[in-house]
Order: sequence, then structure tokens, then C-alpha cells
Amino acid sequence: MRDFFRRTGVLTKRNLKEIARDPLSLIFMIALPLIMEVMFYYIFHDLTEQFAINVLAPGIVVFSQSFLTLFTGLLISVDRSTSFLKRLYVSKARSHEFIFGYLFALLPISVLQSVLFFVVGGLIDSSFWSFKMILGIAGGVMSSLLFIGLGILFGSLCNEKSIGGVSSIIITGQSVLSGMWFPTEGMSEGFLTVMKIMPFKNATMLVSNLVNGFENVLPDVIFPLIIVAAYTFVAFAAAIAVFKRKMKSK
Amino acid sequence: MIAIKTEKLRKEYKDLVAVDDLDLEIYEGELFALLGVNGAGKTTTISMLTGLTEPDGGDALVFGHSILREMNEIKSFIDISMQETAVARKLTVDENIEFYAELNGLDKETIKRVKNEIYESFGLKIVANKQAAKLSGGWQRKLSIALSLVTNPKILFLDEPTLGLDVIARRELWKTIKGLKGKMTVVLTTHYMEEAEALSDRIGVMKDGKLLFVGIKEEMFEKTKKTNVEDAFIEIVGGGEINA
Repeated sequence: MRDFFRRTGVLTKRNLKEIARDPLSLIFMIALPLIMEVMFYYIFHDLTEQFAINVLAPGIVVFSQSFLTLFTGLLISVDRSTSFLKRLYVSKARSHEFIFGYLFALLPISVLQSVLFFVVGGLIDSSFWSFKMILGIAGGVMSSLLFIGLGILFGSLCNEKSIGGVSSIIITGQSVLSGMWFPTEGMSEGFLTVMKIMPFKNATMLVSNLVNGFENVLPDVIFPLIIVAAYTFVAFAAAIAVFKRKMKSK
Repeated sequence: MIAIKTEKLRKEYKDLVAVDDLDLEIYEGELFALLGVNGAGKTTTISMLTGLTEPDGGDALVFGHSILREMNEIKSFIDISMQETAVARKLTVDENIEFYAELNGLDKETIKRVKNEIYESFGLKIVANKQAAKLSGGWQRKLSIALSLVTNPKILFLDEPTLGLDVIARRELWKTIKGLKGKMTVVLTTHYMEEAEALSDRIGVMKDGKLLFVGIKEEMFEKTKKTNVEDAFIEIVGGGEINA
């Protein structure tokens, strides 16, 4: 157990440094969503409720998390392509320690995203300040697990050239199927059903309802949480299976 | 003492037999060069001995431990330097060494000592605070090999260590590899025949997964009636099986 914590800690520290020293990852995970939050609020909030800060901020939190998939995947695929991971496979580190190492390195970034975009939301519109922000941050951690899990899965499957394209499916999915950029009223039943069964709208709903408050815990929090957790579980199960297989080629 | 003993070690990929019932002995403290053309089975052999690939048949004993059943024990006294440079790109040279040492459970005092030893033998001190990604190919390769020495392994596998390096960087690495002789068992695969000639105590030649020759250089020359490793190698791989 002591070896598990030591090795996971060492891997986490290294992964965090790799990501923090990549200016592109900071631009896409932090700067771009921040600019979007401020810009979209000031341009559109008078025109539509969709861009009121209580709707926009949680949407931006989950949208920014979709980039966690890209940069987790990129880190792993580069580690694989340079044989860095192969070298570590010869050490005594186990597959689950590698996966925790990636996960724990990305979690502080997801917390930073939630805190930053909620705080900026509060600075833009003081009515947004609330102790419920803490609940929103907790919800953000839950939804970020999904995107990190997908990143580990894609990074284990794709090379560094294809990871961008594959991850963009998740970023696009989060943009189009979350309902954060446009109202969902009046959309076709089929499209709404797809949105309901996919994790993107549920992740956004979860964070939004936690930070803004909810009327009924079951449909507003528990159901979205179950759907997000189910996708997260599948993503991690697949990621662990693929990562293990890649560790020891048959 | 025998460091590595393979017994009918075998690896197949669909229709291809990558390693064909390999029987080989490598002795403790020697520098053993495994030669062969592309696809001869050298890297696959090393992959099986280091636990990166599971064999389809046979077994190998590494200091008496079976690669099938005791890989975890084996991992505590082996290390490998890959064909490709394998370093953490955004970490500095210093951080790379520290990371690898910590991952392998070295204490702070040992890490400090190991760092100094590596800086001295590889000349890495002058680039210690540079990110690995910003180093030239030669420096990155040096760091990659240096990392494999952090744990002071009993057996070091060097898979094409000088591939893609210029002649100066290659000669510098030769010096470093020569310095390891006697301190640990080194298994080297290479395409460069002059490298094998300059560095190795014994040579093994593989072709199509089979071991065609194993012995010292002089035996190789005697068997083939040639006077250098390159000509002897061509004679062996082109001229059929020659038993040592």
C-alpha cells in the first residue's frame, strides 16, 4: 500500500508538471473558456437568458472540462509514442498506479476551472455569489471524472496525431448536446432524447442545479448524476482494460 | 555465473515466428551484443526478458527467476534503454533523474549520490536545468540511457542505443557504455557492426527469430574466415547456419 501511494504520488507530480508547463493546455483549459465567459456574458446577457451568468458559468465549467479529455489524451499518447511509458512499464509501477497518476494530476486543474469560472461569474454579477458554489465545485469534480476517464481511454487507443480529432468529438458533443449555447425549447423530440441519454447535458444540468439550487433532488440532481456516473464508470473500465492491454502486448 | 538463460523461448505474431525456440546463455558481467537484420527478433527477445511482451512458449531465467512467474522480482534488478528516446519531455534533466529514482523507491541520499554519479559519467551537469524537450537528440539519448542506470541494475538492456546519433555523439556513448563493463551485465542490440566489435565481449547473431551464431569475435572470424565483424555477420546471415 505504501508503494502504491509513493508511486502514484510520483507519477501525479510528474504529470501535473507536464501539463502545467504546456502553454497550449493552459490556454485551452483556462484562458479560452474564461474569455468566452466574460465576452458572451457582456455581448448576449441582455438578449437572452441563456447567457445570464447563472446559466453561462456552469456551462462554461463543463465546457472547459471537455478540454481535459484532449490534454489527458495528448499527454498519454505522447508518453506512448516516445516510449516513455514503456520504460516505466519495466519498473514495478502497476497499471492502476499509472491511471491514478493521470487522474490525480488532472483533478486539481478541474477544481481550478470550477473555482475560477464561478468566482469570475460572481465578480460579473454579484447575485451569483452563494455558498452553493461549493456544491457546484463538487458537481464539477464529478463531471470532470467523465472527461478525464475519456481522455485516458482515448490516449491509450490513439496516437498523438489522431488524438486531437477524436477528442474534438467530445468537445463538439459538449458544445452541441449540452444545450449551453442555445435554448432547447422547440427542438425535435429525437434530438432532445439524444441529449437526455448522452452525458453532456446531464453533466451541465448537474453542475448548474447544484450551484443554482434545485426544486426536486431526484430529477434535478440524482438522475443526471446517475447518468454521468454510468458513463464515467464505463469510460474508466474501458480505459483500465485498454491501458493494461497496451502495457503488456500479447 | 549465468545471468540470463533462455529455454526454447518463443514468440509468434499471426503467421510470423518472431523468436523461434531461442536457447541462449548470457554470463554475469559481460557485454553481450545481439546482432541481426531488421525483424531478426532482437527487440522481441529483449521485450520478453523485460516483461514488456509475453512469450508464447518456453521460458527464460534471469538470475534464476522465471520470466513467466517471477517478473516482479526480476524488475527489481533490470532496466532498459529503448530504441526511441524515453524521457519526460517537459521535465528538466535533473527532474527526470529525480522522478525516475523516486518512482523506483530510492531514498533522498541515494538520489543525490546517483545524480552526481550520472552528471559525472554522462557530462549532463551543464544541461541539468534544461527541459528534456529542448535538448539536442544526442543529449536526449544520453539522458535516456542515463535514466536506465539510476537504479544501478544488475542487468541493463540497451536496444539500439546509438541509433540516429551522429558519429561524435555515438563515440561518446561508446565510452560511457565501455565504462559499464564489469559493473553490470549489458545486453546490447545494434545495427552497427563496428559498435559490436568495439564494445562486446561476446556476440550473438539472430536471423528470422533463430540464433545462428554465439561466441567471441575471434570465433566468429574463424568460423567465417573473415577479419571483421561486419563481413563475418554478412557471411553468417547470408550464408546459412553456422554453429559455434
